Amino acid sequence: MEKTTVVVIGGGATGLGILRDLSMRGVKALLVEKNDLVNGASSRYHGLLHSGGRYAVKDQEAAKECIIENQIMRKIGKSCVEPCGGMFTRLDIDDPAYEELWVKGCADSGIEATPITLDEAFRLEPRLSRKHVKSAYLVPDAAVDGFRMAWQLIDSSKRYGGQLKTYTEVIGFDTVNGELRGVKVRNQFTGEEYEIGCDIAVNAAGGWAGFVGKLAGVEIGVQPDKGTLIAFNQRIVNHVVNRLHKSSDGDIFVPHGSITILGTSSMSVPDPEDTSTSRAEVESLIKIGEQTFEDLRDFRILRTFAGSRPLYIPPGGAVGRSASRGFAIVDHEQDGLKGLFTIVGGKFTTYRLMAEKMCDQICAKLGNNTPCRTADEPLVEEVSQADKDRARKFFPSYGTNLAATRLGVDRFKKVVERLEADPESRELVCECENVTRAEVEEICKDDTSFIVNDVRRRTRIGMGTCQGNFCALRAAALFAELGTEPSAKDSLARMKEFLQGRWKGIRPVLLGRTLRETEMTRSIYELSMNVTGGDAR
Amino acid sequence: MKISDVIVVGGGLAGLMAAAVAASRKQSVTVLTYGSGSLPLASGTIDFGSLKNLPAHHPYKKIGVSNLNAAAKFLVDITAQANLPYVVGEKIPVVTAVGTLKYSALVPESMDASQLAGKKKIFVVELAGLKDFYAPMLADNLKKFFPDKTFETAKIDLHLLGGRDITCMDAAQLIADNEQPLANELKTLNATADDAIILPPIFGVMGNFSRSTVQTQIKAQIIETTCLPPSPPGIRLQRAFMKFLQSSGVKFFENTKVVRGVVEGRKVTGVVVENVVREKIFRAKKIILATGGFYSSGITMRDFDNPREPIFDLPVFFPTGAENWSNAQLFSDKPQGFATTGIFTNERLNPIDADGNVLFDNLHVVGNNLGGVDKIFERSAGGIAIASAYKGATL
Repeated sequence: MEKTTVVVIGGGATGLGILRDLSMRGVKALLVEKNDLVNGASSRYHGLLHSGGRYAVKDQEAAKECIIENQIMRKIGKSCVEPCGGMFTRLDIDDPAYEELWVKGCADSGIEATPITLDEAFRLEPRLSRKHVKSAYLVPDAAVDGFRMAWQLIDSSKRYGGQLKTYTEVIGFDTVNGELRGVKVRNQFTGEEYEIGCDIAVNAAGGWAGFVGKLAGVEIGVQPDKGTLIAFNQRIVNHVVNRLHKSSDGDIFVPHGSITILGTSSMSVPDPEDTSTSRAEVESLIKIGEQTFEDLRDFRILRTFAGSRPLYIPPGGAVGRSASRGFAIVDHEQDGLKGLFTIVGGKFTTYRLMAEKMCDQICAKLGNNTPCRTADEPLVEEVSQADKDRARKFFPSYGTNLAATRLGVDRFKKVVERLEADPESRELVCECENVTRAEVEEICKDDTSFIVNDVRRRTRIGMGTCQGNFCALRAAALFAELGTEPSAKDSLARMKEFLQGRWKGIRPVLLGRTLRETEMTRSIYELSMNVTGGDAR
Repeated sequence: MKISDVIVVGGGLAGLMAAAVAASRKQSVTVLTYGSGSLPLASGTIDFGSLKNLPAHHPYKKIGVSNLNAAAKFLVDITAQANLPYVVGEKIPVVTAVGTLKYSALVPESMDASQLAGKKKIFVVELAGLKDFYAPMLADNLKKFFPDKTFETAKIDLHLLGGRDITCMDAAQLIADNEQPLANELKTLNATADDAIILPPIFGVMGNFSRSTVQTQIKAQIIETTCLPPSPPGIRLQRAFMKFLQSSGVKFFENTKVVRGVVEGRKVTGVVVENVVREKIFRAKKIILATGGFYSSGITMRDFDNPREPIFDLPVFFPTGAENWSNAQLFSDKPQGFATTGIFTNERLNPIDADGNVLFDNLHVVGNNLGGVDKIFERSAGGIAIASAYKGATL
């Protein structure tokens, strides 16, 4: 039987943070994830690295945690954090009394909130509503890329011996006399079931933590809370722009590279798998968003998406926006199951702190006294200027930097070697995101690349302006050649699947220029490629 | 000010067709286009869709099948004049870039896959450095349609690789300059008259000259596939039309955005175009509106449940509500609601309102801004475009 010391359940930011932390402290750990990494709230969110400003009135403990972690993430995660800064703006319809509370709350929490004149606000954010905005402050918010951070957490963990199995679902726990002996899992592709022996297991399954708890016979108060977001195809804002009012729906804009994400809503849902979005949700977000940016409707929407926050509900606790964004650690020895922990709640910004607290308890149990070092050591090394210069011979500097931060030192070097050796590998598979064939080839080899969507998430093919119109065909063809799963060979099915994945997020926002793109998709794939007809007609 | 017999707004398949038909009937024609039309995006084949059991609101019911046949004949003549022979049939197979077959009614001879009949061995040939064409995938999928034939893939190197990516369009332009390197490479396959060679559409951007030059040196039948845009077969068709329009004295204005009509009661007397300095009016006895659907901005939609025709503000018919707007599956056996959005007309293709009242007697709506059916799902977009254009021009 396969054996390790700690099994971490769940490949979100928390689980990955725990894997890294344990590995760095010299504890043998293996992470299992039933899907691909960051399949839950760790990628389906607005990508905001909170300054804490949002919690400065309601929850100062969370606010303080945010500002500390924010500073740490900027230091250790340079290539996944965009330090764009944030702005809080109060509109004419917002309560001025709240502004006073907020200013005091920021001061008390240690968040630097600098008041600026309206002229300065409009200079920094020219699209802000001159009609509605009444006051503005700058705060140290930032944008963070959840996908990129996940791959870098893995790279860092692996360097210290951390192990990872994606598409591996937990189906039960092996206990003897109330003591954990192992975790039973199933391979999602082959259906093979087996046990991984361990001393300790951590349930870090986020929105799924309740289901995992049930397998062990313990009750966990987690309420999946769905948030819907909209990705616009332009950089509408230069800063993270927040509404200065009591936290509500649709009041945060976050810039990411060349796009902007507007979010979010808050709706309790029974099933964390529910990532559905609707026209009504989109319309409601736009209606709120255009109070801050009046010309919002003139921007092309790329897509909409949703994720579930795993809100921790202590017995008799509040739900929805009133629920705490704090986190909780439960040692299930109190429920008569020694060796199982659950960590639940919290938010992306504080994932590292959550992991640290969790690992402190685990290490105490294991008698390991090594201190946590995750706040001191960068996730990955920075790509050297020399390697970037080599790459610049083949693609533009913007693309070079994107690829460098996306790939990290080792993979970037290998990709550059491919580019140098094989001229054909220089072609852009995805023009929108500047992804070369060399990168796709390299990522296809990765031990977490099983299906074409895994390659998409790692390279970002299909996630840009054209939403797969051109690269769906290329990705399916390349994956048929390089993919390891037998299903890769069915290129037509994979191509349709790829486009269907994009369609899910496009359908609720099918208006304006998004309609044009869809007409193009259908013209190419239904008329020119006949992927729907083939032999039928 | 000079008054044209006909102004055509839009330079896609329907607009070019309408202008050509009107010009062939000795009318003075002015074409106003803003974009490049959708032909560079298209496969160059023209699908008709089914003509049977059509509902009353179907554009074909207003257009009439006789106009479709006349339009097909006209298009075959025009393209033949540009040495771009088209074949006509009910169900002509075409090999797509992904290795499926599609069936079409008007097909460039170079893409007519019925020529694969009787061939024993099929060579699928890709070009080093050309993106978007993957011979192994194509062969793998096409085998399913031809289980009795043997397939072989090959890669030839025409030293296309320069400092950037090469598309089919780039390759077609390079090969049109000199076909011989391609012919020489194909000779090395040693393909016989019993074989066929499938290639991406790279035989030039004008007519069929390049393919003829190569085909005369190769015993095996050469077939072109469809491709991702920009599509040389679509551009060849566009250029065949342009050649005809130029020789017929049609006035063609590019980058000219028509912003509104000049109307007197039920008559349109001209259109206003946007100009850097001041607006300009073009006058005509008859206007053909061929501005296309959502793709070409002939219809726009800024807010849900509110599509608009931006030039004449014509009534636009559309399915209301999110549940009727689109299907959960992008590709399925059901038409997409949003794709039925468009303008309704009478049998003279004049726009009508919800009560059936004609809005303008000398404005004719043709092509993709006609509403009522999902033309992509039906595969009727091409047929409706050329037939409505033919009718609009001959009324």
